[in-house]
Amino acid sequence: MKIPRGVLLRSRVVDDPGTTLATALERRLTGYAVFEPQDAVLLGDERRGVVTFEDGVPVLAYCTDTDRGGADALEDVASPGPYSAELYELDRDALAEAHEADDLRVSPGLPAERLGVDRTLVTRTRDAAPDDRLGTDDTDAVEAFLADESQIEAIREQAREEARTRAEEWGLTDALDE
Amino acid sequence: MVEAFAVASGKGGTGKTTSTLALGMALAEDHDVTVVDADTGMANLLFHAGLDDAAVTLHDLLVEGEDAAVSDAVYERFGMKVVPCGTSLAAFRAADPERLRDVVADLAADTDVLLLDSPAALGSKSAVLPIVLADRTVIVLQPTVPALSDGLKVQEYARSYGTETAGTLFNRVRDGEGIDRVAEQADRYFGGETLGVIPESDAARTARTAGEPLLAHAPDAPVSQAFREAARRLDVRDGGSDDVADRFRSAVVPEEV
Repeated sequence: MKIPRGVLLRSRVVDDPGTTLATALERRLTGYAVFEPQDAVLLGDERRGVVTFEDGVPVLAYCTDTDRGGADALEDVASPGPYSAELYELDRDALAEAHEADDLRVSPGLPAERLGVDRTLVTRTRDAAPDDRLGTDDTDAVEAFLADESQIEAIREQAREEARTRAEEWGLTDALDE
Repeated sequence: MVEAFAVASGKGGTGKTTSTLALGMALAEDHDVTVVDADTGMANLLFHAGLDDAAVTLHDLLVEGEDAAVSDAVYERFGMKVVPCGTSLAAFRAADPERLRDVVADLAADTDVLLLDSPAALGSKSAVLPIVLADRTVIVLQPTVPALSDGLKVQEYARSYGTETAGTLFNRVRDGEGIDRVAEQADRYFGGETLGVIPESDAARTARTAGEPLLAHAPDAPVSQAFREAARRLDVRDGGSDDVADRFRSAVVPEEV
Protein backbone atom coordinates (compact mmCIF):
# COMPACT_ATOMS: atom_id res chain seq x y z
CA MET A 1 0.00 0.00 0.00
CA LYS A 2 1.28 3.44 -0.91
CA ILE A 3 0.13 6.60 0.80
CA PRO A 4 1.76 10.00 0.25
CA ARG A 5 3.23 11.53 3.38
CA GLY A 6 0.81 13.80 5.20
CA VAL A 7 1.20 16.65 7.65
CA LEU A 8 2.18 15.38 11.10
CA LEU A 9 -0.35 16.56 13.68
CA ARG A 10 0.92 14.75 16.75
CA SER A 11 3.37 12.10 17.78
CA ARG A 12 3.33 10.50 21.19
CA VAL A 13 3.56 7.30 23.13
CA VAL A 14 0.17 5.94 24.18
CA ASP A 15 -0.94 2.95 26.24
CA ASP A 16 -4.26 2.83 24.42
CA PRO A 17 -4.40 3.31 20.62
CA GLY A 18 -8.06 4.15 21.20
CA THR A 19 -7.01 7.63 22.37
CA THR A 20 -5.47 8.28 18.95
CA LEU A 21 -8.55 6.93 17.17
CA ALA A 22 -10.70 9.13 19.41
CA THR A 23 -8.64 12.19 18.50
CA ALA A 24 -9.08 11.44 14.80
CA LEU A 25 -12.81 11.05 15.34
CA GLU A 26 -13.15 14.27 17.34
CA ARG A 27 -11.23 16.23 14.73
CA ARG A 28 -13.18 14.53 11.91
CA LEU A 29 -9.72 13.93 10.51
CA THR A 30 -9.08 12.87 6.94
CA GLY A 31 -5.64 11.30 6.95
CA TYR A 32 -4.02 8.37 8.70
CA ALA A 33 -2.50 7.09 11.93
CA VAL A 34 0.64 5.00 12.28
CA PHE A 35 0.89 2.71 15.29
CA GLU A 36 4.15 1.08 16.24
CA PRO A 37 4.04 -1.31 19.20
CA GLN A 38 6.96 -0.65 21.56
CA ASP A 39 7.74 -4.36 21.75
CA ALA A 40 8.37 -4.19 17.99
CA VAL A 41 10.80 -1.32 18.53
CA LEU A 42 12.63 -3.31 21.19
CA LEU A 43 12.78 -6.35 18.98
CA GLY A 44 14.01 -4.25 16.10
CA ASP A 45 11.29 -5.29 13.68
CA GLU A 46 9.41 -3.02 11.36
CA ARG A 47 5.91 -3.83 12.52
CA ARG A 48 3.74 -0.79 11.99
CA GLY A 49 0.01 -0.54 11.60
CA VAL A 50 -1.59 2.12 9.45
CA VAL A 51 -5.24 3.10 9.82
CA THR A 52 -6.67 5.65 7.38
CA PHE A 53 -9.62 7.95 8.07
CA GLU A 54 -12.23 9.86 6.18
CA ASP A 55 -13.87 12.52 8.35
CA GLY A 56 -12.60 10.72 11.45
CA VAL A 57 -14.02 7.32 10.48
CA PRO A 58 -11.54 4.49 9.82
CA VAL A 59 -11.52 3.23 6.22
CA LEU A 60 -8.68 0.74 5.94
CA ALA A 61 -6.00 -0.94 8.01
CA TYR A 62 -2.64 -2.24 6.88
CA CYS A 63 0.36 -3.85 8.60
CA THR A 64 3.70 -2.99 7.01
CA ASP A 65 5.58 -5.98 8.33
CA THR A 66 3.14 -8.76 7.48
CA ASP A 67 1.70 -7.02 4.38
CA ARG A 68 -1.75 -7.97 5.56
CA GLY A 69 -4.84 -5.73 5.49
CA GLY A 70 -8.22 -5.29 7.13
CA ALA A 71 -9.01 -7.22 10.33
CA ASP A 72 -5.82 -9.29 9.87
CA ALA A 73 -3.68 -6.15 10.00
CA LEU A 74 -5.31 -5.10 13.27
CA GLU A 75 -4.60 -8.52 14.70
CA ASP A 76 -0.94 -8.23 13.65
CA VAL A 77 -0.53 -4.84 15.27
CA ALA A 78 -2.43 -5.57 18.51
CA SER A 79 0.01 -5.81 21.42
CA PRO A 80 -0.02 -5.13 25.15
CA GLY A 81 1.39 -1.68 24.36
CA PRO A 82 2.54 0.95 24.80
CA TYR A 83 2.54 2.21 21.23
CA SER A 84 4.26 5.00 19.44
CA ALA A 85 1.36 6.72 17.69
CA GLU A 86 1.51 9.37 14.97
CA LEU A 87 -1.41 11.15 13.44
CA TYR A 88 -1.20 12.70 9.97
CA GLU A 89 -3.55 14.88 8.00
CA LEU A 90 -3.80 14.16 4.31
CA ASP A 91 -5.95 15.35 1.45
CA ARG A 92 -8.90 13.11 0.56
CA ASP A 93 -7.73 12.91 -3.07
CA ALA A 94 -4.32 11.67 -1.96
CA LEU A 95 -6.01 8.78 -0.14
CA ALA A 96 -8.42 7.94 -2.94
CA GLU A 97 -6.18 5.43 -4.69
CA ALA A 98 -5.37 3.51 -1.50
CA HIS A 99 -9.02 3.49 -0.53
CA GLU A 100 -9.88 1.56 -3.66
CA ALA A 101 -8.21 -1.54 -2.19
CA ASP A 102 -11.24 -3.48 -0.94
CA ASP A 103 -9.16 -6.17 0.75
CA LEU A 104 -7.68 -3.63 3.16
CA ARG A 105 -10.99 -2.12 4.26
CA VAL A 106 -12.34 -2.37 7.78
CA SER A 107 -15.82 -1.72 9.17
CA PRO A 108 -15.87 1.72 10.86
CA GLY A 109 -15.86 0.45 14.45
CA LEU A 110 -13.42 -2.41 14.04
CA PRO A 111 -10.12 -0.60 14.82
CA ALA A 112 -11.64 0.77 18.05
CA GLU A 113 -13.00 -2.68 18.86
CA ARG A 114 -9.70 -4.48 18.30
CA LEU A 115 -7.21 -1.88 19.50
CA GLY A 116 -9.07 0.40 21.90
CA VAL A 117 -9.99 0.05 25.54
CA ASP A 118 -13.02 2.35 25.59
CA ARG A 119 -16.05 0.42 24.32
CA THR A 120 -18.11 3.56 23.76
CA LEU A 121 -15.62 4.61 21.09
CA VAL A 122 -16.91 1.76 18.89
CA THR A 123 -20.45 3.10 19.17
CA ARG A 124 -19.39 6.71 18.72
CA THR A 125 -17.42 5.82 15.61
CA ARG A 126 -20.31 3.90 14.11
CA ASP A 127 -22.66 6.78 14.89
CA ALA A 128 -20.37 9.12 12.95
CA ALA A 129 -20.02 6.77 9.97
CA PRO A 130 -22.06 7.42 6.83
CA ASP A 131 -24.87 4.92 6.20
CA ASP A 132 -23.21 3.42 3.15
CA ARG A 133 -20.35 2.28 5.40
CA LEU A 134 -22.68 0.44 7.78
CA GLY A 135 -25.31 -1.37 5.79
CA THR A 136 -23.44 -4.31 4.27
CA ASP A 137 -23.76 -7.91 5.33
CA ASP A 138 -20.27 -8.29 6.69
CA THR A 139 -20.65 -11.61 8.46
CA ASP A 140 -17.19 -11.48 10.04
CA ALA A 141 -17.84 -8.10 11.60
CA VAL A 142 -21.30 -9.21 12.78
CA GLU A 143 -19.91 -12.34 14.38
CA ALA A 144 -17.14 -10.35 16.07
CA PHE A 145 -19.76 -7.94 17.37
CA LEU A 146 -21.95 -10.71 18.78
CA ALA A 147 -18.99 -12.56 20.29
CA ASP A 148 -18.10 -9.56 22.45
CA GLU A 149 -20.39 -10.09 25.42
CA SER A 150 -19.08 -7.11 27.36
CA GLN A 151 -19.86 -4.78 24.48
CA ILE A 152 -23.37 -6.22 24.09
CA GLU A 153 -23.96 -5.80 27.81
CA ALA A 154 -22.74 -2.19 27.58
CA ILE A 155 -25.26 -1.47 24.82
CA ARG A 156 -28.06 -3.04 26.83
CA GLU A 157 -27.11 -1.25 30.03
CA GLN A 158 -26.97 2.08 28.21
CA ALA A 159 -30.39 1.41 26.62
CA ARG A 160 -31.92 0.52 30.00
CA GLU A 161 -30.64 3.73 31.55
CA GLU A 162 -31.80 5.76 28.57
CA ALA A 163 -35.24 4.14 28.67
CA ARG A 164 -35.65 5.06 32.34
CA THR A 165 -34.40 8.62 31.90
CA ARG A 166 -36.72 9.20 28.99
CA ALA A 167 -39.65 7.57 30.78
CA GLU A 168 -39.24 10.28 33.41
CA GLU A 169 -39.10 13.00 30.75
CA TRP A 170 -42.23 11.63 29.11
CA GLY A 171 -44.18 10.98 32.29
CA LEU A 172 -44.19 7.25 31.64
CA THR A 173 -42.56 6.09 34.86
CA ASP A 174 -45.76 4.47 36.09
CA ALA A 175 -45.72 2.19 33.07
CA LEU A 176 -42.18 0.98 33.84
CA ASP A 177 -41.86 -2.59 34.94
CA GLU A 178 -40.18 -2.43 38.32
CA MET B 1 -58.94 -13.88 23.10
CA VAL B 2 -56.25 -11.49 22.05
CA GLU B 3 -52.59 -10.87 22.12
CA ALA B 4 -51.05 -7.63 20.90
CA PHE B 5 -47.64 -7.74 19.27
CA ALA B 6 -45.53 -4.69 18.45
CA VAL B 7 -43.56 -5.42 15.30
CA ALA B 8 -40.49 -3.31 15.97
CA SER B 9 -36.98 -2.58 14.82
CA GLY B 10 -34.58 0.09 15.94
CA LYS B 11 -33.62 0.96 12.42
CA GLY B 12 -35.47 1.89 9.24
CA GLY B 13 -35.19 -0.18 6.09
CA THR B 14 -35.41 -3.58 7.76
CA GLY B 15 -38.71 -4.33 6.01
CA LYS B 16 -40.83 -3.96 9.11
CA THR B 17 -44.05 -3.05 7.33
CA THR B 18 -43.64 -5.85 4.79
CA SER B 19 -43.04 -8.21 7.73
CA THR B 20 -46.06 -6.95 9.69
CA LEU B 21 -48.44 -7.53 6.79
CA ALA B 22 -46.84 -10.87 5.89
CA LEU B 23 -47.12 -12.18 9.46
CA GLY B 24 -50.65 -10.77 9.61
CA MET B 25 -51.77 -12.56 6.46
CA ALA B 26 -50.15 -15.81 7.54
CA LEU B 27 -51.68 -15.64 11.03
CA ALA B 28 -55.06 -14.77 9.48
CA GLU B 29 -55.29 -18.35 8.21
CA ASP B 30 -56.01 -19.44 11.80
CA HIS B 31 -56.84 -16.26 13.69
CA ASP B 32 -58.86 -13.12 13.43
CA VAL B 33 -56.09 -10.57 12.79
CA THR B 34 -56.03 -6.78 12.98
CA VAL B 35 -53.02 -4.87 11.68
CA VAL B 36 -52.51 -1.28 12.81
CA ASP B 37 -50.05 1.24 11.38
CA ALA B 38 -48.83 2.60 14.70
CA ASP B 39 -45.93 4.41 13.02
CA THR B 40 -47.95 7.62 13.10
CA GLY B 41 -45.01 9.86 12.18
CA MET B 42 -43.83 7.92 9.13
CA ALA B 43 -46.82 5.89 8.09
CA ASN B 44 -46.42 3.71 5.02
CA LEU B 45 -48.60 0.66 5.61
CA LEU B 46 -51.34 2.23 3.52
CA PHE B 47 -49.11 2.06 0.44
CA HIS B 48 -48.35 -1.62 1.08
CA ALA B 49 -52.02 -2.48 1.46
CA GLY B 50 -53.49 -0.54 -1.45
CA LEU B 51 -55.17 1.92 0.91
CA ASP B 52 -53.58 5.14 -0.39
CA ASP B 53 -57.01 6.69 -0.80
CA ALA B 54 -58.49 5.54 2.53
CA ALA B 55 -60.99 8.21 3.57
CA VAL B 56 -60.55 7.68 7.31
CA THR B 57 -57.27 6.62 8.95
CA LEU B 58 -55.80 6.25 12.43
CA HIS B 59 -54.86 9.93 12.34
CA ASP B 60 -58.55 10.86 12.26
CA LEU B 61 -59.09 8.79 15.39
CA LEU B 62 -56.24 10.51 17.23
CA VAL B 63 -57.19 14.10 16.51
CA GLU B 64 -59.42 15.75 19.05
CA GLY B 65 -62.66 17.07 17.66
CA GLU B 66 -62.82 14.59 14.79
CA ASP B 67 -65.94 12.50 15.20
CA ALA B 68 -64.79 9.43 13.27
CA ALA B 69 -65.66 6.08 14.84
CA VAL B 70 -62.92 3.48 15.22
CA SER B 71 -64.80 1.20 12.83
CA ASP B 72 -64.59 3.89 10.13
CA ALA B 73 -60.79 3.42 9.98
CA VAL B 74 -60.95 -0.38 9.79
CA TYR B 75 -60.70 -1.86 6.31
CA GLU B 76 -61.25 -5.53 5.49
CA ARG B 77 -58.36 -6.41 3.22
CA PHE B 78 -56.57 -9.66 2.35
CA GLY B 79 -58.42 -11.61 5.04
CA MET B 80 -57.43 -9.18 7.80
CA LYS B 81 -58.68 -5.99 9.35
CA VAL B 82 -56.30 -3.20 8.42
CA VAL B 83 -56.10 0.19 10.16
CA PRO B 84 -53.90 2.45 8.03
CA CYS B 85 -52.45 5.75 9.15
CA GLY B 86 -52.30 8.90 7.06
CA THR B 87 -49.07 10.57 6.00
CA SER B 88 -49.91 14.21 6.66
CA LEU B 89 -47.41 15.94 8.90
CA ALA B 90 -50.09 18.38 10.05
CA ALA B 91 -52.30 15.49 11.15
CA PHE B 92 -49.37 13.88 12.97
CA ARG B 93 -48.78 17.11 14.85
CA ALA B 94 -52.46 17.44 15.70
CA ALA B 95 -52.69 13.81 16.82
CA ASP B 96 -53.00 13.11 20.53
CA PRO B 97 -51.14 9.89 21.37
CA GLU B 98 -53.29 9.63 24.50
CA ARG B 99 -56.04 8.40 22.24
CA LEU B 100 -54.04 5.50 20.85
CA ARG B 101 -54.68 3.33 23.90
CA ASP B 102 -58.46 3.74 23.53
CA VAL B 103 -58.30 2.95 19.82
CA VAL B 104 -56.19 -0.12 20.53
CA ALA B 105 -58.51 -1.15 23.37
CA ASP B 106 -61.53 -0.93 21.05
CA LEU B 107 -59.77 -2.97 18.39
CA ALA B 108 -58.55 -5.52 20.94
CA ALA B 109 -62.10 -6.24 22.06
CA ASP B 110 -62.93 -7.57 18.62
CA THR B 111 -59.94 -9.56 17.37
CA ASP B 112 -57.59 -12.46 18.21
CA VAL B 113 -54.25 -11.01 17.20
CA LEU B 114 -53.29 -7.36 17.05
CA LEU B 115 -50.13 -6.45 15.15
CA LEU B 116 -48.85 -2.92 15.72
CA ASP B 117 -46.44 -1.78 13.02
CA SER B 118 -44.22 0.30 15.28
CA PRO B 119 -41.93 3.26 14.57
CA ALA B 120 -38.26 2.58 13.82
CA ALA B 121 -37.31 5.10 16.47
CA LEU B 122 -37.31 5.54 20.23
CA GLY B 123 -36.91 9.28 20.44
CA SER B 124 -40.42 10.41 21.35
CA LYS B 125 -43.37 9.36 23.45
CA SER B 126 -45.51 8.55 20.44
CA ALA B 127 -42.70 6.36 19.08
CA VAL B 128 -42.41 4.19 22.20
CA LEU B 129 -46.14 3.88 22.90
CA PRO B 130 -46.72 0.80 20.73
CA ILE B 131 -44.06 -1.17 22.63
CA VAL B 132 -45.45 0.13 25.93
CA LEU B 133 -48.97 -1.00 25.02
CA ALA B 134 -48.14 -4.35 23.40
CA ASP B 135 -48.02 -7.68 25.23
CA ARG B 136 -44.89 -8.77 23.41
CA THR B 137 -42.62 -7.62 20.60
CA VAL B 138 -41.49 -9.23 17.39
CA ILE B 139 -38.13 -7.65 16.60
CA VAL B 140 -37.21 -7.40 12.93
CA LEU B 141 -33.46 -7.61 12.42
CA GLN B 142 -30.97 -7.68 9.61
CA PRO B 143 -27.63 -9.44 9.97
CA THR B 144 -25.71 -6.17 10.27
CA VAL B 145 -24.05 -4.59 13.28
CA PRO B 146 -26.23 -1.44 13.32
CA ALA B 147 -29.48 -3.42 12.94
CA LEU B 148 -28.53 -5.83 15.74
CA SER B 149 -27.30 -3.04 17.96
CA ASP B 150 -30.54 -1.08 17.46
CA GLY B 151 -32.59 -4.27 17.90
CA LEU B 152 -30.97 -4.80 21.30
CA LYS B 153 -31.87 -1.23 22.21
CA VAL B 154 -35.52 -1.73 21.27
CA GLN B 155 -35.60 -4.94 23.29
CA GLU B 156 -34.27 -3.18 26.40
CA TYR B 157 -36.72 -0.30 26.02
CA ALA B 158 -39.60 -2.76 25.65
CA ARG B 159 -38.46 -4.82 28.62
CA SER B 160 -38.26 -1.67 30.72
CA TYR B 161 -42.03 -1.46 30.21
CA GLY B 162 -42.56 -5.15 30.90
CA THR B 163 -42.94 -6.05 27.21
CA GLU B 164 -41.01 -9.25 26.52
CA THR B 165 -39.66 -10.39 23.17
CA ALA B 166 -41.81 -13.01 21.43
CA GLY B 167 -39.14 -13.70 18.84
CA THR B 168 -36.86 -12.25 16.22
CA LEU B 169 -37.05 -12.23 12.47
CA PHE B 170 -33.95 -11.89 10.32
CA ASN B 171 -35.16 -10.10 7.23
CA ARG B 172 -33.61 -9.22 3.87
CA VAL B 173 -30.84 -11.77 4.34
CA ARG B 174 -28.30 -11.98 1.51
CA ASP B 175 -25.62 -14.22 2.93
CA GLY B 176 -27.38 -17.57 3.28
CA GLU B 177 -24.26 -19.29 4.62
CA GLY B 178 -23.24 -17.00 7.47
CA ILE B 179 -26.75 -16.37 8.78
CA ASP B 180 -27.03 -19.60 10.76
CA ARG B 181 -23.99 -18.72 12.86
CA VAL B 182 -25.16 -15.13 13.29
CA ALA B 183 -28.69 -16.22 14.27
CA GLU B 184 -27.34 -18.73 16.75
CA GLN B 185 -25.11 -16.11 18.38
CA ALA B 186 -27.88 -13.49 18.39
CA ASP B 187 -30.26 -15.98 19.97
CA ARG B 188 -28.25 -15.71 23.20
CA TYR B 189 -29.14 -12.05 23.57
CA PHE B 190 -32.71 -11.87 22.31
CA GLY B 191 -35.80 -13.26 23.99
CA GLY B 192 -38.07 -15.80 22.32
CA GLU B 193 -36.72 -17.77 19.41
CA THR B 194 -35.52 -16.90 15.94
CA LEU B 195 -38.86 -17.08 14.17
CA GLY B 196 -37.43 -17.05 10.71
CA VAL B 197 -34.73 -16.13 8.25
CA ILE B 198 -36.25 -14.28 5.33
CA PRO B 199 -34.19 -13.96 2.14
CA GLU B 200 -33.75 -10.63 0.35
CA SER B 201 -36.21 -10.68 -2.51
CA ASP B 202 -37.33 -8.55 -5.43
CA ALA B 203 -40.86 -9.78 -4.76
CA ALA B 204 -41.09 -7.56 -1.65
CA ARG B 205 -40.31 -4.49 -3.74
CA THR B 206 -42.69 -5.34 -6.57
CA ALA B 207 -45.41 -6.10 -4.01
CA ARG B 208 -44.94 -2.65 -2.50
CA THR B 209 -45.11 -1.04 -5.96
CA ALA B 210 -48.28 -3.00 -6.70
CA GLY B 211 -49.82 -1.88 -3.38
CA GLU B 212 -50.31 -5.46 -2.21
CA PRO B 213 -48.94 -7.35 0.78
CA LEU B 214 -46.19 -9.76 -0.22
CA LEU B 215 -48.26 -12.86 0.56
CA ALA B 216 -51.04 -11.65 -1.75
CA HIS B 217 -48.66 -10.53 -4.49
CA ALA B 218 -46.34 -13.54 -4.61
CA PRO B 219 -47.95 -16.24 -2.43
CA ASP B 220 -45.75 -19.04 -3.71
CA ALA B 221 -42.41 -17.22 -3.62
CA PRO B 222 -39.81 -18.68 -1.22
CA VAL B 223 -39.83 -15.41 0.72
CA SER B 224 -43.59 -15.75 1.32
CA GLN B 225 -43.17 -19.33 2.47
CA ALA B 226 -40.45 -18.19 4.88
CA PHE B 227 -42.85 -15.66 6.41
CA ARG B 228 -45.58 -18.32 6.76
CA GLU B 229 -43.10 -20.59 8.53
CA ALA B 230 -42.14 -17.73 10.87
CA ALA B 231 -45.81 -17.08 11.68
CA ARG B 232 -46.28 -20.75 12.56
CA ARG B 233 -43.45 -20.47 15.11
CA LEU B 234 -45.08 -17.51 16.79
CA ASP B 235 -47.07 -18.93 19.69
CA VAL B 236 -50.10 -16.71 20.11
CA ARG B 237 -51.18 -16.79 23.73
CA ASP B 238 -54.76 -16.78 24.85
CA GLY B 239 -55.93 -13.96 26.99
CA GLY B 240 -59.33 -12.52 27.77
CA SER B 241 -60.11 -9.67 25.42
CA ASP B 242 -61.82 -7.78 28.23
CA ASP B 243 -58.64 -7.97 30.27
CA VAL B 244 -56.61 -6.66 27.38
CA ALA B 245 -59.01 -3.83 26.69
CA ASP B 246 -58.94 -2.83 30.35
CA ARG B 247 -55.18 -2.98 30.41
CA PHE B 248 -54.88 -0.67 27.42
CA ARG B 249 -57.35 1.76 28.93
CA SER B 250 -55.49 1.86 32.21
CA ALA B 251 -52.05 2.10 30.64
CA VAL B 252 -50.26 5.25 31.60
CA VAL B 253 -50.06 7.37 28.51
CA PRO B 254 -48.42 10.77 28.11
CA GLU B 255 -50.48 13.89 28.07
CA GLU B 256 -48.59 15.54 25.27
CA VAL B 257 -46.26 14.55 22.44
